[in-house]
Parts: sequence; structure tokens; C-alpha cells
Amino acid sequence: MAVSVIPVRRRDRRRPALGSHVFLIVLTAAFLAPVVWAVLSSLKEPASIITDPLGFDPGTSTLGNYRAMFEDVPIASGFLNTAIVLVLKGGLTLFFAPLAGFAFAKYRFAGQNVIFGAVLLTLMLPTIVLVVPLLLQMRELGWVNTYQALVLPGAVDAFAIFWMRQVIAAVPDELLDAARVDGCGEFRIFVSIVLPVIRPGLAGLAVLTVMNIYNDFVWPVVVTSRESMQTLQVVLATLAQNITGNRIGADFATVWGELLAASSIALIPLLVVFVLLQRHFINGILAGSVKG
Amino acid sequence: MTSTEMRERTPAAPARRRRRRPSGRRLAPYVFVLPFVALFLAFSVYPLIYTFRLSFTAWSGSGPARWVGWDNYTYLLGSDAFWSSLGNSAVLWLLIVPVQVVVALIAAVLLNNAKLRMRGFYRTVALVPFVTPLVAMAQIWIVVFDSDYGAVNRLLGAVGLPEIDWLTSTVWAKPTLALLFLWKTTGFAIVILLSGLQSIPASVYEAAELDGASRTRQLVSITVLLVRRVVLFLVVMQTLAVFQMFAEPYVVTAGGPYGSTTTAGLYLYEHLGRSDLGTGSANSFLLVALVMLVSLLFVRLLRERD
Repeated sequence: MAVSVIPVRRRDRRRPALGSHVFLIVLTAAFLAPVVWAVLSSLKEPASIITDPLGFDPGTSTLGNYRAMFEDVPIASGFLNTAIVLVLKGGLTLFFAPLAGFAFAKYRFAGQNVIFGAVLLTLMLPTIVLVVPLLLQMRELGWVNTYQALVLPGAVDAFAIFWMRQVIAAVPDELLDAARVDGCGEFRIFVSIVLPVIRPGLAGLAVLTVMNIYNDFVWPVVVTSRESMQTLQVVLATLAQNITGNRIGADFATVWGELLAASSIALIPLLVVFVLLQRHFINGILAGSVKG
Repeated sequence: MTSTEMRERTPAAPARRRRRRPSGRRLAPYVFVLPFVALFLAFSVYPLIYTFRLSFTAWSGSGPARWVGWDNYTYLLGSDAFWSSLGNSAVLWLLIVPVQVVVALIAAVLLNNAKLRMRGFYRTVALVPFVTPLVAMAQIWIVVFDSDYGAVNRLLGAVGLPEIDWLTSTVWAKPTLALLFLWKTTGFAIVILLSGLQSIPASVYEAAELDGASRTRQLVSITVLLVRRVVLFLVVMQTLAVFQMFAEPYVVTAGGPYGSTTTAGLYLYEHLGRSDLGTGSANSFLLVALVMLVSLLFVRLLRERD
């Protein structure tokens, strides 16, 4: 293979041309611009959001939009509901998906293929298709506007099972057998051997699950009509109605100021998580791409 | 008997001689998958069967449902609204998927160069849109693309370009939504394609270079050929996403102007608002069939190019 060394070096020595940088910088600017613009504009006087949308003067920045927004928009209850759903639904997925993945990866049992087929079917079924059926079912059960309706459907996420099955398959059998020899029960093996070993995979799953639940919109908007039960995303979707409803005669600028404040405050938690846990995030996203 | 032998033994094999431990071990996997199975039966299988029955009835959500046979299906297949919702989604697909594949492929190829400075930074920023909540961004889109006071039109005016009725004209509303979708997911596409590129061994490029293939030809022929699987995955996934597109038109345009952004996903939802549950159910199944068909078509198409 000595021959091939030279061309490789030649290829690697080639520095990216100026055009590459221009392309990537333009793309990067486009990715950042809407977020940066929204956060900066939310700190401006409402009137100047409209009269001078492109300018920003740090000297006149204000938290006025945020103060008004907290009065007019049920954003606090939105955050609270999202947090409750995150803890419950996220907890169910993070515990029961690896547990099912463990069963699929390390056991042979009758009906295994049928049940795993169900996992794959759930993966492929478009979410929106289940919305009408599920809503009718929730009405029948009297579960509309309840936490169980927000939490239970899809709580043990199919993709999470699929992914965890692959992660756990890589755990050496010897490790499990050694524990069995020591008299460890099957559930104890899962809790005290499997879970600690797959921690990196779990971290990726946790980040991805948090992101999915936090951003989930289609199901919550259908199943929560009462304001006190709405998650953050549903509250955000009806911002304009909330603001104009609570501030009769509010002008365009006021509405926009509050709307940008609410949108900005909703962006920030996930962005912070993303910046802090980037590696796990990218792992999660790449694992997600394997399912195809 | 070693434990591996035990595990590979089919569960149908007689378990008479085993004591407590082995039988616990045979039961364990069933207990472990039970939570998923229970939720699957309760919240996927049951509603699907229930709705399938409902799709042959006329029902407003209360009172008795009236059996109408295939009426809901024939009604939808003969209605302009149904086809125009699919047409809107198809146009959005054209505006989104080819653009995204090309842009993301170029970016991924550039980022795959180890000599590029700030690679990590570019990749991180590319994922910022992906982690932002779609609904929040949709609200920001309304403000930024406003015809009269929006930042985009102000920018266009500043450089002497004509202002555009982004959200209020039937011509521009779809591209504006497509832009939101592209903004939100192109970074994700780049990361996926980049991981595909990184799995190509350098020796493939070496061989090509020895054969005297030019840099551009290398890019086109080798790269595209080898990341075909990843591209295929991306196309199928985004096709599913575009035909389900819901939050973008729901928040930004409410399906308007004049229904020009009523996507297949949004149209499905509108049956609920009209309490037309039988038709809504039928529409769900038509959409499943369509989405599955389109995905299969892509898989076939890209496989045939082998």
C-alpha cells in the first residue's frame, strides 16, 4: 500500500478554497440569524421592533416585553405542564425502553419476532395518522385535558426500544452470566449490570427524549383544549390570541414584543442543554439516523 | 448445561427439569416487554381498529354512528379539497427535498475536509435550528416575514429589491413555509450526510486519484454513489415529514391564504374541527396508504440505480 500514501497526502494538503468558507459562513449566518434576531428584538422597546426591525441599541434594551408577556400569556403553567410531562413520559421511556431492548437483545422467547414487528410497525406509522383515532379514544375514556392523555400514548417510545436493543446487544454475555452464577435475578441484572454499562447510550437517549417531548406539538394541541392543561408548545401556538385577548386594543408592536419574548424564553432551555451536552446530542441524532 | 445453551434452547422445549431460576429466566423477557406491549395494544392497535370501523360510518362524535360503507373514501377521492391538500404537500415537497439534499450534500462534503478550520463550530451551529421548538420559530417567522413591518422586507427594501407578500399571497406562502422547514431541518441533514461521508474509507478516493479522476468527478461519482444509502434515508424521512407537515401551516398561515398552505396533515386535522369523524378516519387511512406507497417507490427507485 506504499504507493497510495502519496496521493493521500496530496489530497489532504489541499486547503479548502475561499468559496467553501463563503458557503459555510453564509449557511451558518442563516442558521443563527432568526434566533439571534428574535432574542435581541425581544429586548427592544415594542415600537422600535416595528419602526427599526434591523437595528439594535443595547443602551435602550428592556425586559418590558417579558414582564408584560408573563401577565398576558399562561407561559408559567405551560412550562409547568411541559415539566410534568417531561418527568413522567421521559421517565417511562428511559426505564422501560432499555428494559424491552434488553429482552430483545439478550433473550430468545416465543413471540419475540411478532412483538418486535410491533415495535417496527409503531416506528413506521406516521404520527399524524394516529391523532384522530387517539383523540376519539381519549374522548371515550374521558381523558381529554388530563396528564395521562399527554403521557401514556407513545410513552415507551418504539425508536428508543429499537436503539437500546442495539446498544445492549453489544454488552458481553459473559458479564450477564457471571452475575447469574452469583445468584443475581434477571431484573437485578438489568438494573445493576446492564444500565450502568450502557450509560453513554442512555445519555444520548435521554437528551433526544427530552428534546422530542419538549418540542412535541401535534398530540398536545389536539388533546388539551383547556388552558390550564396546555404544554408550553401549545401555549406558544396561541400566543397572538392570548395577548390580544388579554390586552384589548393592544397594538401590533405590543403583541409582537410579547410574542418574541415568549418565543425566546421557550428557545433558551433546549439551547442551553444542547450546548452543554453536545456530544450526547449528536450521538442521539446519529443513532436516530440508523433506524432507516 | 452452560447458560448460552440454555438461552438458545427454544422456549417450546420442555422445561420440566428446570427449577425456579430457569423458569424465572423464561418469564423475564415477557415481563420486560409487557409495558410496551400493553401501551401498543391500548394506544395503537385499539384506536386503529376502532377508527378503521369508524371510517365506514358517518359520525359527529355523539349519538349513534350511521354505516355508510365506502362513502367516506369515495367522497374524499372525489373531493377537490382532499386533492388540493395533497397537491399543496407535493409542491412543498418539491420546494424542500431537492433543495435540502443539494445544500446539505455540498455542506457535508466541505465539512468532511479535515483541513477545514472551525469544523466543530459549523457543525454545532448547524444543529441549533434542529433543537429549537418549531412552534416558537413559526411565531418568529410570522413576525420576520410580515409584509409591512417584517425584517426580511425591510432588508430587501434596503438593498433596493422589491418587497414580497410572503405570507399573504398564494404564490409566496408555500415557499415561506418551505423556508421554515428547510431552516429547521437542513442542519440535521448535514450531520446525517456527514456521518455517511465519514464512513467512506479514504482508500476509495486514493484509487480514484490514481486512476486520474479529477476532483470534481471524484466528488460526484464516488461520493454520491457511496452516500446513496444515506441520501435515500434522508429523502424517505423528509418525504414522510413533509406529508405530515402540520405545525408550520397551523401556526404561521392557518392553511391560508385561500387554502394554499392547507397541507395533507392540516387537512386531516380540519375534519376534527368540523366533527366529521368518519371522513377524518378515512382520510387517516388514505394518508397512511399514500405515505407508505411513496416511501416504497423511493426505495425501489434508488435501488434500481445500483
